[in-house]
Amino acid sequence: MTDVLHELLRGSLDHCVKCTICETACPVSNVTPLFPGPKYAGPQAERYRVGDEPSVEWSVDYCSGCGICTQVCPQGVEIAEINAQARRKLKQQKGVPLRDRLIARPAVLGRLGTPVAPLANASLRSKPLRAVGERLLGVHREAPLPRFAGRTFSAWAGRHSSPAAARRVVYFHGCGTQYYEPEVGEKTVAVLEHNGYQVEIPKQDCCGLPLQSNGLFDDARKYVLRLARALAGHARDGALIVGNATSCTLMLKREAREILGLAGDPELKLVSERTYDVCELLLELHDRGELATDFQPVEEVVAYHAPCQQQGHWIGKPALELLALVPGLEVRELNARCCGIAGTYGIKREKYDIAMAAGADLFEQIRASQAGLVACDSETCRWQIEHGTRKPSAHPIELLHRAYRLPRPAAFPPSQPDARPAG
Amino acid sequence: MRTSLHYDAVVIGAGVAGLTAGTRLAEAGARVCVLAKGVGSTHLAGGTVDVLGYDPGRVEAPARALPAFVEARPDHPYALLGVDAIPPALEWFAQRIERGPQPGYRYLGSLERNHLLPTAVGVARPSALVPETMAAGELGAERPVCLVGVRILREFHASLCAANLARLGVEARRVELGLDIDRPEVNALGLARRFDDPAFRRDFAASLARRLEGEERVGLPAVLGLRDPHGAWSDLEDRLGRPVFEIPTPPPSVPGMRLYEALRAALRAAGGRLVVGATVVGAKRDGAQVSALRVDTAGRETTFGARWVVLATGGFASGGLALGSDWVVRETVLGLPLRGVPLPGTARFLPDYFAEQPMSRAGVAVDATLRAEDLENVLVAGAALPGAEPWREGSGEGISLTSGHRAAELVLAANGLAAAA
Amino acid sequence: MAALSTEVLVIGGGATGAGVAWDAALRGFRVVLADRADLCEGTSGRFHGLLHSGGRYVVKDPRAAEECIAENRILREVSADCIEDTGGLFVTTPSDDEAYADRFAEGCRATGVDCEEVDPAEVLREEPRLHPGISRAFRVPDANIDAWKTVWALARGAHARGGARILPYHAVVGVHRRGDQVTGARVRDVRTGDELDVEACVTVNATGAWAGKVAELAGIEGVRVLPGRGIMIAMNHRLVNTVVNRCQMPTDGDILVPIRTVSVMGTTDVQTDDPDDHTVAQDEVDAMLEDGERLVPGFRQARALRVWTGVRPLFQDTKEDVASTRDVTRSHTLLDHAERDGVGGFVTITGGKLTTFRLMAEEAVDAVCRQLGEERPCTTRTERLRGSEEGEHYHLGERLGRREAGLHDDQLVCECELITRERLEESMRRRGTANLDDFRRVLRLGMGPCQGGFCIYRATGIMHALRGDPSGATPRGDGLTAEQANDALLGFLRERWKGVWPILYGDQLRQARLDDWIFQGVLDVGHLER
Repeated sequence: MTDVLHELLRGSLDHCVKCTICETACPVSNVTPLFPGPKYAGPQAERYRVGDEPSVEWSVDYCSGCGICTQVCPQGVEIAEINAQARRKLKQQKGVPLRDRLIARPAVLGRLGTPVAPLANASLRSKPLRAVGERLLGVHREAPLPRFAGRTFSAWAGRHSSPAAARRVVYFHGCGTQYYEPEVGEKTVAVLEHNGYQVEIPKQDCCGLPLQSNGLFDDARKYVLRLARALAGHARDGALIVGNATSCTLMLKREAREILGLAGDPELKLVSERTYDVCELLLELHDRGELATDFQPVEEVVAYHAPCQQQGHWIGKPALELLALVPGLEVRELNARCCGIAGTYGIKREKYDIAMAAGADLFEQIRASQAGLVACDSETCRWQIEHGTRKPSAHPIELLHRAYRLPRPAAFPPSQPDARPAG
Repeated sequence: MRTSLHYDAVVIGAGVAGLTAGTRLAEAGARVCVLAKGVGSTHLAGGTVDVLGYDPGRVEAPARALPAFVEARPDHPYALLGVDAIPPALEWFAQRIERGPQPGYRYLGSLERNHLLPTAVGVARPSALVPETMAAGELGAERPVCLVGVRILREFHASLCAANLARLGVEARRVELGLDIDRPEVNALGLARRFDDPAFRRDFAASLARRLEGEERVGLPAVLGLRDPHGAWSDLEDRLGRPVFEIPTPPPSVPGMRLYEALRAALRAAGGRLVVGATVVGAKRDGAQVSALRVDTAGRETTFGARWVVLATGGFASGGLALGSDWVVRETVLGLPLRGVPLPGTARFLPDYFAEQPMSRAGVAVDATLRAEDLENVLVAGAALPGAEPWREGSGEGISLTSGHRAAELVLAANGLAAAA
Repeated sequence: MAALSTEVLVIGGGATGAGVAWDAALRGFRVVLADRADLCEGTSGRFHGLLHSGGRYVVKDPRAAEECIAENRILREVSADCIEDTGGLFVTTPSDDEAYADRFAEGCRATGVDCEEVDPAEVLREEPRLHPGISRAFRVPDANIDAWKTVWALARGAHARGGARILPYHAVVGVHRRGDQVTGARVRDVRTGDELDVEACVTVNATGAWAGKVAELAGIEGVRVLPGRGIMIAMNHRLVNTVVNRCQMPTDGDILVPIRTVSVMGTTDVQTDDPDDHTVAQDEVDAMLEDGERLVPGFRQARALRVWTGVRPLFQDTKEDVASTRDVTRSHTLLDHAERDGVGGFVTITGGKLTTFRLMAEEAVDAVCRQLGEERPCTTRTERLRGSEEGEHYHLGERLGRREAGLHDDQLVCECELITRERLEESMRRRGTANLDDFRRVLRLGMGPCQGGFCIYRATGIMHALRGDPSGATPRGDGLTAEQANDALLGFLRERWKGVWPILYGDQLRQARLDDWIFQGVLDVGHLER
């Protein structure tokens, strides 16, 4: 089953008319000659690949997997997906380095780091230790690594009881919220409850996206199928699945099915049909006239960046439309392709500079916008943005939370520097 | 399980026609969403606005030639739209460029006289409106030309171009310039980004100035900046002390990308939505009305409710029309009836490459109000319209702009609204 | 009148003719080879690329099968680099007679064609695009062979080893007779009009489907070659990586050959009178698409790049009459005209298939030796061609691997086929031609999905820059004019269109219209000053 699907994915290369539009949009090939571009690595090179012959390539490893090429292709070539397959084959052949095996498991790292958060955070900020880390592991010494929150979102969720309501929704929080930004999760739940949802938070783990990006397809499949099982039961009862991490929700919506060849799995199919990005869901409420619009003014100038994997949902930018409803909030839409981080790509020693160059345009636009805060739906992008611009960054849901004047999240020590907006 | 959003108008296609229709509707206050399977065809065209270049001989003045042209071709989009619809569309376009994100950048020209500009292979080609950065390439002018070739840019070959211009009687020569770029190849966009950098321009101009002679004007491939083409071009003219012009290249077309950015910005400024990557896979019908479009979004279909639909999906080159292996032509999004398709059993194509191909004028059948047959609220604009041969006629952008502009007007009129100019 | 004197004149520069030149040169003969067009532009340049195992013929034509398997083994050694070892399959699809499979297996045993029955499930795992209803499957040692590479290796080898003169674009306009002896031929350089007399002890007529016409020039009647025209369709990518045959009696549309970056579907067999008949009939195309679906469901949605015809030389002994050209033997025919017609100094070698070119050449040069009363043994069974010295087969990934190794060294001119500027310029310097199709044939320039849309303007511009500099500072300095460059570009577009328009639908139509946008729109080549 997998092979036929892979062949059909591969078969999408037939749609390529070499128009170069993907090349104009690729954030990586535009800043480095190490990656010859999506047209080359995808439909063009694919004609030279024979399944059972060894890979003769190396440059496809520099594809960041951002997926912008597939989005902009007017012909429907599944470029990024073809690249992912080729990259995986290459990595299997060369061996996946220890570094990649580690950083592809944010849940494992999270569980290890959380109990010793202060120490872990101090180590990650220690220049000498980071220098050693770069030499030994290959994680760039300046790469933006998140801070452990020292508590997990699920611990809060276990204590939280969502008020009963007619509408139910299942919350898929992702590893970022779980270990690094639990307050974003709390705010997300609060906003949903404010809009009349009863929020269920089942036990759940990583979606497997970083494993997939790093060519560890078998492990990725285990994770995503386990997650699908955890969520499917609730979805079967009619509830929608909502997430705030746009890369992870995209994994569920389509990447796992397409790249990992899991289109035939019925539970994953159900989950993918029911999965919503939280802004997507709220905008639909608004379209039906059901969104709570009791927003109080937020006097702030905010720049909004839509992460590439948010754009990969093909739903436009619902966050922008929601933020436009908040009085006093001046939102400046940024027009840059990619922040560069692409999940785990930009923290690797050999790719960090490329990632920073890819994000340079975005950083420059942020500076020029004179915004005091950057709104962005993906946590890894927010960390990259903060790293590249020294400006604070927040998930759009946090701004809505503030506009609703909902109570501050639980009284635990703040997990991020005080630059975050209050409330 | 339904997912839905509602709009006054949904435009399908983000090429020139789609963005024009969508922006004009949004400017009039309509709630508009432009859906595009990918980035539009703007990146492929040269960036000029061609209204009428050949009929079949070269057209000097479209304003004079158009009346006879439409009279001889009652099936042509210009006949359908009326030639009077063209000037306001061009005016609208020129204003959007001027207000656009590229400071000071503008298009020059009118229907009174076509510019005659060199192509990258050295043909003299007529265009009605051209970016100011190209205008100094006017082949009617006497001034000698020096073309600058850059080896790492594969999309422009100065030697061949100069030799062909010379055959036209233009005093043309070429120089090859080495650039301090450590790559064996760069595309037009990569170079254009560098030309956005004043330091790069300074070094480039210094290195080029030494090689220039006499009164010659300088012809470059179209790489004079993506962000700030006016700045890049006028800076180079200042530094070199002579006219500079850029020549459209095969894709990626930098002037085309600038045009896209300007129209996109106009759409967003007017409050319109643009969703790139959304593929329309079908429609819900309610009698003679389309009530909603079914769109492929990640994971599932999303329904876009629409009171009006503008289909601007292009012709065969853009995938708006497709010919199956069963030799049946289809309009690929809504399956609308077509016109101008060769009858079954007759030739679809002719063995002579340069002959006009029987298939080339096929398009979606519409009435005088651009409405698709049998539907009341679906209008068609751009290369999806039948009856035109945009490249042989030199009419592509003229048709797209005018029909997109007009489609918006027709929708607004049907709602009792007037469109802003 | 210019003149050349040699020992062996070979007329015809396809695989057979080039093979004769190589063989003769190795045996110490002085050789001149002439072809009216570029080398390998005839039937050899127009087949599907299959190196037969012989499986196709084991039931119908066992002698042909035996020859094929023997030559298959030899060529894998001596022209290893020209061959990609894809392996082959014979499969029984739901459209095929199940009973044939056993006859096939028995036929393989009888003729010595290596054959191993395999589980269809295993075959479907390897080749997931094949019809899921396959009921029987056999592995055979089919492979693909690159005809141009082979022919040029033979020709260059003949030149390097024996000083052979290779004359492409030299058409034979007359064959010289002195009484009952053929003494050579007059050839005309079709590019310049210059004529040349070639005096030769023996003239070998290796013109395949044109053999009858050339024999007539020598005043020899009755060499009846029935041209059997067949179409082939190149699909944009490899739908399969193994040669796949339908397990049934040879018929139309029963082979799918992966070769280089494409898969070639073929073929048909229509008797024609004219070996230059390149008609592509619509009903043949439609039938081929149907045949494709029988092997690969979804074939119609795959992208067809181009369709072309090849004309098989089918020699028919004038004493018999046959209904269809397919029934004529596919084994080759050697006519020693001294024996057959009393005309010395002339040998015709025709029929056969590319797989057996070496054997045909051997027999032809043996006949040459006999006519000259010489005993010179053939060494082509073991002598390796240039480039095949290591005995390594070609792998599809080679061009990609080379490109990856030299990613920062040079720019790609033809991106689809990964051709660098250096490679193209080197070829342009080496061959004096200004015909871009010549480079298409040897380099595959413009043979990928965009069919030259993006690379032909580049290639023309590069050619002009290389050879058109009026200062004469370039290596050749032969002052290629703008007109010649324009003709090359326009000529390429016209030539390409011939193979594109009969199969133009779907993705390829979209590509063609984009190419029109570029050439007729942005570049406006339609108005290039004539």
